Amino acid sequence: MPKIPKQTVKEVNSKEKYKADEKFAYRSTIISVIFGGIFLTVSLILNTEFITLFLNQNIIWNIVDVSIKTVVILLFFLFMITSIGNYKELIGKPLTWKELLLLIFLSLGQTLLNSLVFMFTLLGLILILIYLFIVQET
Amino acid sequence: MKKTAYRITVSLILFNFICISFLIISNGYSVSEEIESKFGDAPIIDGVIDTLTNEWNQANKIPVNLNDLPIELWVMNDEKNLYLSVQLELLPVAHNYTEFVGIMISNSSSDNLEDFKDARIVQFINISENEFEYIDYSINNSIFKNDAINTGNGSARLEDGSSTYEFSIPLNDNYSDHEDASVEHGKSSAFMIVYGVSPYYPSGIRKSITVLVNIASLSTTTPLFINSTLFILVIIIFIILGAFYGFYVYKIFTLKNKIERIKH
Repeated sequence: MPKIPKQTVKEVNSKEKYKADEKFAYRSTIISVIFGGIFLTVSLILNTEFITLFLNQNIIWNIVDVSIKTVVILLFFLFMITSIGNYKELIGKPLTWKELLLLIFLSLGQTLLNSLVFMFTLLGLILILIYLFIVQET
Repeated sequence: MKKTAYRITVSLILFNFICISFLIISNGYSVSEEIESKFGDAPIIDGVIDTLTNEWNQANKIPVNLNDLPIELWVMNDEKNLYLSVQLELLPVAHNYTEFVGIMISNSSSDNLEDFKDARIVQFINISENEFEYIDYSINNSIFKNDAINTGNGSARLEDGSSTYEFSIPLNDNYSDHEDASVEHGKSSAFMIVYGVSPYYPSGIRKSITVLVNIASLSTTTPLFINSTLFILVIIIFIILGAFYGFYVYKIFTLKNKIERIKH
């Protein structure tokens, strides 16, 4: 007899935890996609050279320019991968290599006008992939 | 355990590869007296760098020292001309009334003084009014002689203590003019950048530096259609990204509706 109410409390707790996790995942999906969108817009402006930063400067400012462009693309990739990962979790499916490769391809595609940005973005993406490869559950 | 070891090994190999790549990149910027001229769109030689039109955007830009005077040297070329820009910042009072910047050109990559046969000088007549003249000289035994025909172009402007000098020097692949030095595509030429304070040459020269400019050959230039194709490709990628992004946001909102429907 005393076991029955105990189980109900456990079930209620687990349901509440699931709901909280779901809410957190959904919130994270939304926030990440908003940030992803912001960085996509900034990348569009900078990488298509609608606006050129530090035009009249020397090599140091050129490096800063390349770094900003690279970081913007990498942040776009990170936020989008977080958002898609959480979305996939919500629908109960894992993030596949196909989606990851598509996102990598589209991130690299943004850099085609500048070979230095392409190179550094590629290196950054490799580092992120290594990080994801290490931290994933065995 | 084996899997973890495998992952760490693969990660270390990739990390080493990245580190080696960075070492290769850093070596590319080691020589400051030698500069690669980059192929680009011709700037307007008016002493003004127009940021709105991305003027000089494709130029190779290096800081150099004219003895103790730090300057910015920008170099680029197109099919017809080599373009050089020299920018120096001094306190407004430190600018001399009749300062000048000149480019002395060697017939080859030799930096021996007697090999500099040609000089292009932008000479301020009245710096406070931004009045200047561009003169093309030929040099014979350190004697500067006015050319019969001024080739190329030069301009200068002083603004807020910063003076900008711009030069265009014709690239004469079919060399025939004996007054001018031969500067050609795909070859290296020695250039002496000189700064002086009075319109007497060479006695007015106060500071100088010799740089070796490697002029981009016509065969290595990126054709315009490749640049246009790349630009169109990037725009297409952004359009695809925009479409995916819109579709993904739509999917997120439909997912929310689905979740709410299941809850109710």
